[in-house]
Amino acid sequence: MFRKKSIQQVMDVLREPEISKQIVHWKTIEPREAVSVPIPDSLHSNIQSALQKRGISSLYIHQLSAYEAALRKESFVAVTPTASGKTLCYNLPVLQEVANNPESRALYLFPTKALAQDQKSEINELIDEMGLNIKSYTYDGDTPANIRQVVRKAGNIVMTNPDMLHAAVLPHHTKWVSLFENLKYVVVDELHTYRGVFGSHVANVIRRLKRICKFYGSNPIFICTSATIANPKELAEQLTGNPMTLINNNGAPAGRKHFLFYNPPVVNKPLNVRRSATLEARNLAKLFLENHIQTIVFARSRVRVEILLTYLQELVKKEFGVKSIQGYRGGYLPKQRRAIEKGLRNGEVMGVVSTNALELGVDIGQLHACILTGYPGSIASAWQQAGRAGRRQDESVVIMVASSSPLDQYVIQNPDYFFERSPESARMNPDNLIILVDHLKCAAYELPFQENDTFGNQKVQDVLEFLVDEQVLHKRGKHFYWMNDSFPAHNISLRSASQENVVIIDQTNVADVKVIGEMDRFSSMTLLHEEAIYLHQGIQYQVEKLDYEEKKAFVREVDVDYFTDANLAVSLNVLEVDKETKNEQNAKAYGDVMVVAKATIFKKIKFETHDNIGSGPIHLPEEELHTSATWLTFQNEDLSEEKLEAGLLGIAHVLRHVAPLFVMCDANDLHVVPQVKAVHNQLPTIFIYDRYPGGIGLSEKVYGSWDTVLDQALTMIKRCPCENGCPSCTGTLEEGNNSKELAVKLISQIKGAAHHVDSK
Amino acid sequence: MSIQNKLKRLKKHMANPVSAPPIQTKAQPDTQKNPKIDHAEYWEKFGASPYFFEDDYCIIRKVQYPIDQVWGRYQFSDVKNAVAQWQEVNAHHPLNAKGLDVSELLFFDTETTGLSGGAGNTIFMLGMSQIKEDHVLVHQFFLPGPGSEVALYHYFLNHVKELRNLVTYNGKSFDWPQVKTRHTLIRDYVPSLPEFGHFDLLHGARRLWKETLPAVKLSVVEKEILGVNRIHDTPGFLAPMLYFQYCNEGDPSLLEGVFRHNEWDVLSLITLFTHMSGVVTGNCFRTEKETYEAARWFESLNEIEWATALYNEVLQTGTSHPFQSKKSLAALYKKQNKIEISVRYWHELLRENEMDEEPAVELSKYYEHVQKDYVKALHFAVSAYNVWKGKKRLTKRKEDQEKRALAKRIERLEQRIIQYS
Repeated sequence: MFRKKSIQQVMDVLREPEISKQIVHWKTIEPREAVSVPIPDSLHSNIQSALQKRGISSLYIHQLSAYEAALRKESFVAVTPTASGKTLCYNLPVLQEVANNPESRALYLFPTKALAQDQKSEINELIDEMGLNIKSYTYDGDTPANIRQVVRKAGNIVMTNPDMLHAAVLPHHTKWVSLFENLKYVVVDELHTYRGVFGSHVANVIRRLKRICKFYGSNPIFICTSATIANPKELAEQLTGNPMTLINNNGAPAGRKHFLFYNPPVVNKPLNVRRSATLEARNLAKLFLENHIQTIVFARSRVRVEILLTYLQELVKKEFGVKSIQGYRGGYLPKQRRAIEKGLRNGEVMGVVSTNALELGVDIGQLHACILTGYPGSIASAWQQAGRAGRRQDESVVIMVASSSPLDQYVIQNPDYFFERSPESARMNPDNLIILVDHLKCAAYELPFQENDTFGNQKVQDVLEFLVDEQVLHKRGKHFYWMNDSFPAHNISLRSASQENVVIIDQTNVADVKVIGEMDRFSSMTLLHEEAIYLHQGIQYQVEKLDYEEKKAFVREVDVDYFTDANLAVSLNVLEVDKETKNEQNAKAYGDVMVVAKATIFKKIKFETHDNIGSGPIHLPEEELHTSATWLTFQNEDLSEEKLEAGLLGIAHVLRHVAPLFVMCDANDLHVVPQVKAVHNQLPTIFIYDRYPGGIGLSEKVYGSWDTVLDQALTMIKRCPCENGCPSCTGTLEEGNNSKELAVKLISQIKGAAHHVDSK
Repeated sequence: MSIQNKLKRLKKHMANPVSAPPIQTKAQPDTQKNPKIDHAEYWEKFGASPYFFEDDYCIIRKVQYPIDQVWGRYQFSDVKNAVAQWQEVNAHHPLNAKGLDVSELLFFDTETTGLSGGAGNTIFMLGMSQIKEDHVLVHQFFLPGPGSEVALYHYFLNHVKELRNLVTYNGKSFDWPQVKTRHTLIRDYVPSLPEFGHFDLLHGARRLWKETLPAVKLSVVEKEILGVNRIHDTPGFLAPMLYFQYCNEGDPSLLEGVFRHNEWDVLSLITLFTHMSGVVTGNCFRTEKETYEAARWFESLNEIEWATALYNEVLQTGTSHPFQSKKSLAALYKKQNKIEISVRYWHELLRENEMDEEPAVELSKYYEHVQKDYVKALHFAVSAYNVWKGKKRLTKRKEDQEKRALAKRIERLEQRIIQYS
């Protein structure tokens, strides 16, 4: 037996040359002192004494600012890093209000059920100390029917999630009269998660909420809390439609944090291929785990999570048992997740491998080390994940392990980009027509519309007339009434474009067939096709049958040494061109497209070596997506088709990483597709489209900054040390083609296009 | 004669078709004819009249039926007997109309634009029937278009002040909450909702006929139990579609079938209440199964006297549920401290039914705890185990539980015997 090392000693190991030569950047973030102020006298005496009893004798400065803003009846957004006492930012004003007026109500919105459960226990402890009769409840899918009635009638504080608000509360607002009549505060926790499609949906849910409040005569103050993003005030104003006060004078202390950038060694010089980030992350995690240092490992996809989990469980099997390392991601069932969270808090779980599901404020206690397998795609996200280590003022280590992707290599070689730049803006587009129409239906179901009514800041007369034509609404006099026998909220999911999930059924044990998880339809095309290896909690399952119509995947446990990776073929049709800039040689355009995606083949890839050991076809129907896109069209002069394709693929590979970086979105929200002969003009074209029906404004933004995007792409390719293109720039291709050179040539050709013509 | 023709000829004997025309009532149109009403002529011809409130109106329709009209197995007037019978019943029962006059019962049903219970589901028709001196009055309140709800509920709540004795079919969880939802939306403009009380016949129908009927929908109960056979009925699920079409096309004749459907529903509720009361109080022909279920219903309400009487009736006449009835009776007598009768029944059951170990278990308990005769108690415990062993069971977990319980009993008794010998 070797002796366990402390975190400092482990850091000494990291400083040894063998490892330290791969550490390209070591940043130490010095500890920060607390900025405290006395508890204000105006605070209700019961709350004061409750705080004293809990050992809180002063407030951080930002908590006081929040309290004061609420007293001035201002809606506000508080930007607070992990573990800075953000809950008091909203709990103080809310409890103050309820203590003074027992009739008053507050609604708390958390992005997930788990967070609501957490916060309920926290606020209830405080309420118990206060000794007042204040009732706080969670209201979600798990709330038993008999409790629901109590919550509706008597809950001072109702904690729920946007999905529940959307489908269960608002459409039944007549059962919540006392809530809506007396609603004083709406708390939106984890504001930064409300971006993209989800945020656009929730902004509309809040428009509906405010409409109903107005009907019942209340006008609640909105309190938001957010992790660090570039535009918290703007986002909060978009989401709630209220003017917002920004509170960002964080006064909480923080411990010393070491942030390390780790670049795996190059194993193939000509191709500039580095060792797999997954394998390196495994080795680093092992170093911490075998010294009993609780560690969280983040991976970018569900599959990576499961692969890492398999590796790590194998490593520690003898010492702690498999159970001490757990996976944590969206597809797990809620009960499983609760158990893991608890295990982390009480120390039974030594390590956890997670997707970004644990970025959120789920309380898992104190972890010392955090390993990011690959750059998470955004600065904000990276800081959120890094915040998981050393929440409570301890020294902690965060290691970011770069993959070979261009984005990772860019970030890891430009630490200033990461450390000096402000985090991304979170974007949403509540006026996306498809989302807007969906929620107008729900809103009309809830209360009739009147001519010239607005919805948020949107004029909606035209949409209402359209819904009349569709026989969903009925116009009588000046009013629009819901006239349909359906329940619109049930058909609208806030979380994803595809509405129904595929259920994963384990039939290993014929006598005990059970559901082990679920997955959205689009992902299931590439992850749950027949013969796919599906990994769940580190156990391998092979998909035996995917019933795409019934949305069921039947799997059986297997033990193989490979995983599967599927290809998705995408075709694009331009429906309408909205904007275009042209010169003789090329064109940039923006407009509506129809995307048709089809899973084609899958490859079997061996563990450890990651060799391709076989493949097979996938037989699944096409999925259609109607969205907005921007595209670049090239005039092909002299290149052979083969060379042209190589060049386009190379550019697309770079754009896939650069474009999200410059419109500041998740890489999954934008797709890049190169085509040698696009359907609409028979010319070589590269498309970038929004991964959501109707678009959420991302590709439009790319269209507006094509010059910058192309410049950056060019720099990235030129700066890469490889010769003929590598996974870190233009990707690897079959031999004989220098994709790097071709890509540079094509970009140079398209740059400097002529003046802008708006075709509308 | 072919079977088909035979059936055709016999059809009217099998069930009573409801084709009898109601007594025509002349609508009394508002003296000041309001030009704003759409389709005024049609409504007048249809026997309906508008009711104005502020700028709006709703449509009111009244239809009368003779009190001796046959509706399925009963005449409407039979409901008077049913209510009269309840006056004699001193038991707590959800159908008990003791202290009520038959004219106080409001047989109530709604037509809505959907089945979901949310704020967007509108009631476009409230219908009710009532027993009057010499006729049955059907009273329907119709929403001529969304947005006229204030007029509708203003009339409804001002004319129907007493809602304490609603008779509905599934009104408890559907119609009434829906009325509450609609009322909440316009509560500032209309009188508040009165206290309401409820006879929900769905609950009783489930108790009595759940096992004998394919479904306990009103239409099925009507046909299979009440002998009400509707001709040219517009099925209820079409009502929302027809209302939407009426709203879009403005043709009120589209709704004729819906008015009639609602009318027939509230009339059938009278027959259903009559029949169900008869089954429970024993004032009509009832099948053994119905008697047995009625007994169980009383038992669940802890009305031991009534339950005992009905179980005894099943035992005396019965061939179909003797074992269950006897077992229930034994349990009831045990509760009433008449355990000697229970013991007799248990002995009988043990002889008559070789497939049930429970009587033996009960006897074992009796000899152990009452008689302190451990040898006899052991004898019955062992025979209980033997009977149990001969049975086939479906679930493994329950099997283990039962086995453990029996084994424990036997073990304990054996020890007792050793202890006291």
